[in-house]
Amino acid sequence: MIRAEGLMKSFGEVRAVREVSFAAADGRVTALLGPNGAGKSTCLRILSTILQPDAGSAWIDEHGVNDDRHAVLRAIGVLPHATGLYTRLTARENIAYFGQLHGIGRSALAERIDSLADELEMGGFIDRKVEGFSQGQRIKVALARAVVHNPQNLILDEPTNGLDVMATRALREIILNLKRQGRCVLFSSHIMQEVANLCDDVVIIGGGEVRFQGTLDALVRESGENDLEDAFIRMAGVGE
Amino acid sequence: MSGFTTVLVKECRDNLRDRRTILSSFSLAVLGPVLFIGLMSFVLNTALGESDEPAEVSITGAAYAPDLIAFLESQNTRITYIETDDPRTEVVGRHHPLVLFIPEDYQARFTAGLMVPVTLWHDSSQIGSSRRNFSAVRAMISTYARTIGVLRLQLRGVDPTIANPIVVREMDTASPAARALTVLATLPYLLVLVVFMGGFYLAIDTTAGEREHGSLEPLLCQPISRAQLVLGKTSAAALFSALSLVLFLISFALAIPFAPLHRIGMSLEVDLAMSAAIFGVSTPLMLFGASVLTAVASWAKSYKEAQTYLTVVILVPTLPLIVTQMMSIEPSAALMTVPSLSQSMLINQLITGEAVDLTHVVISMATTGLAAAAMIRLTIWLYNRERILI
Repeated sequence: MIRAEGLMKSFGEVRAVREVSFAAADGRVTALLGPNGAGKSTCLRILSTILQPDAGSAWIDEHGVNDDRHAVLRAIGVLPHATGLYTRLTARENIAYFGQLHGIGRSALAERIDSLADELEMGGFIDRKVEGFSQGQRIKVALARAVVHNPQNLILDEPTNGLDVMATRALREIILNLKRQGRCVLFSSHIMQEVANLCDDVVIIGGGEVRFQGTLDALVRESGENDLEDAFIRMAGVGE
Repeated sequence: MSGFTTVLVKECRDNLRDRRTILSSFSLAVLGPVLFIGLMSFVLNTALGESDEPAEVSITGAAYAPDLIAFLESQNTRITYIETDDPRTEVVGRHHPLVLFIPEDYQARFTAGLMVPVTLWHDSSQIGSSRRNFSAVRAMISTYARTIGVLRLQLRGVDPTIANPIVVREMDTASPAARALTVLATLPYLLVLVVFMGGFYLAIDTTAGEREHGSLEPLLCQPISRAQLVLGKTSAAALFSALSLVLFLISFALAIPFAPLHRIGMSLEVDLAMSAAIFGVSTPLMLFGASVLTAVASWAKSYKEAQTYLTVVILVPTLPLIVTQMMSIEPSAALMTVPSLSQSMLINQLITGEAVDLTHVVISMATTGLAAAAMIRLTIWLYNRERILI
C-alpha cells in the first residue's frame, strides 16, 4: 500500500508539487495521470526516497519515506523513467546486481532470475549483453530488475514510453499479473487510452495538485464527459 | 556479499568489458616504459657519440686555401669537396648541411696580410649533428686563424699575448651519466601520471557516465547506503590504478635491459623488491587519485564535462613535481605532506638507490591517505544531495 499526504516540493522558484495526497491500495492498479510537467515524476521520486519532500510525507506499507529509507526501498520496486540498464552487462548480470544489493543469496538469486526469465519470457536473451536490445526487451529486463526482491509495491514511471503495440500488450499482462498476486501497482502516464484498459483507480495531477482521485467510472461521472480523454483533459485543467 | 563489494565487483567487471576504458587506462602503463627507454637510449647514444664522431663539412673553393684545408684535414673531420657558387641552395636543399665557402682571392689577401673572410653556411633551425658540426668547424677555423695571428705577431717581434688579454676556457662537467640521470628523474613523473590514468575513465564511467545513461536513479533506489556506493566506486578506480601501476612496473622491468646504461658504467635493475617498494609507497596515491577523480567526475553534469575537468585535474599532481625538479629541492618532512610530490620523491630515491628515510615514508602515506579520506567524504556528501540526480 502506498499513501501520500500533503506532499510539497520546490526546485528553486519552481513549485513542482504543491499539495499532493493520495493512496494506492494493494491488489489494485493505480494510475498517476497528468500532462507533462504536472509533477508526476517528482511525486514518484519522493515515494522512492530519491527526493525529500519540503513538507508532508508518504508511507510505503507502514514505513515512512522520511524515516526509514532502507525499509521503504525493500518494500518497493522502482522502474524509473529511463530504464537505465548497464549495456555492457548481460540481462542476467543486470538483474543479479540489484538482487545482490538487496542481499539475496547466490543460489536463491539464480533461482529467482530463472523464474523471472520464465515469467517475463526473457529466455531468448537473458544471457546476452543488453547492448542492442529492443526497447521492449529493455523494459522487461528493467522490470525484472525492479521486482527481483519480490516487493509488495511497484512504482513505474511511464513504463509504456517507446513501446510498440506488442510490447505494450506484454507489459499490460505483466502488470495485471502483479495485481492478481495482490500487489500494489502505481504507474504514471499521460496517455488516457492505456490507462483505461489497465487501471482500477486514477489520480489526476495538474499544476502540482491532485485534481481527481477515484475509480474510472467515478471520473466519467464527475467530469460530466462521456469520453475518458475529455474527462482527463477537463480534470487536469490542460484546456485552461 | 556486502553492498560495497557488490558495487566494486560490478564496476570492475563492467569497465573491463569496455575497450575504450581498457585502452586509455593501461596503454600509458604498457607503452610508457618503452617510450621512456627509447628516449633514454637516444640521449645516451648522442651523448656518447659526440666525443668521437668526426665533424662533417663540405668545402667549396678548397683549391684557394691549401694550408687551411691541410689543417682541417689534420683535425677530426670528414670533408666533402664540392664546387658551387651558391652554397645557400646546397644548405637549404639539405644536400650539404654545412658548407665552408672559400673566396677566390683568399691566397692574394692572405699573402698581403689582409683579413680574409670565409663563410660557413648552416641552418640553425636544424637540431642534431649539424649544429655540433657547425660549432666544431668554427672552432677549428678560429684555432687556425689564431695560430696564424700569433705567428705573424712573432714575425714582427710582438708578444702575441698582448692581443689576447683574457682567455676563456670551457669546462663542461656534464658526463653522459649525468644526462642519463636527468632522463631518469622524469620517471616518477611518468609513474604518477600512470597511477592517475589508471582510474581516469572508470571514475567517469561510474559517476557522470552512470548518471548520463540513466542508471543512477534505479541504483539509488536500492537499499545501500550512499557511503558504501561511493566507497565501492572509488575502490574500483583505485583498483584500476593499482593494475595500471603493476603493468607499468612489469613493462619497465622488461624494457630497462634495453637501455644502454652499461656504456656509462651504470646498472639499473628493477627487481621484485624494488617494484614492491615502489608499489608500496604508491598505494595511498592510488586511493588519493581515485578519490579525486571520482569526486570531480561526480560533480560534473555529463560525461563530456567530466572528461574536460579530469584532463585538467590529472595535470595538477604533476605540477609540484616539475617545480621541485626545476628548483632541485631536496626531500624534507614538510614536502612529504604533499600528495604525489612525496611519492615521486620517494620513488626517485628508491630508483637511484639512495637511502630512504622511513619517517618520510610514514608521513607520506599518512597525509596522502588522509587527503584521500577527505575526498571520499566529499564525494559521499555529493551523493547525499538530491542534486546528484538533477
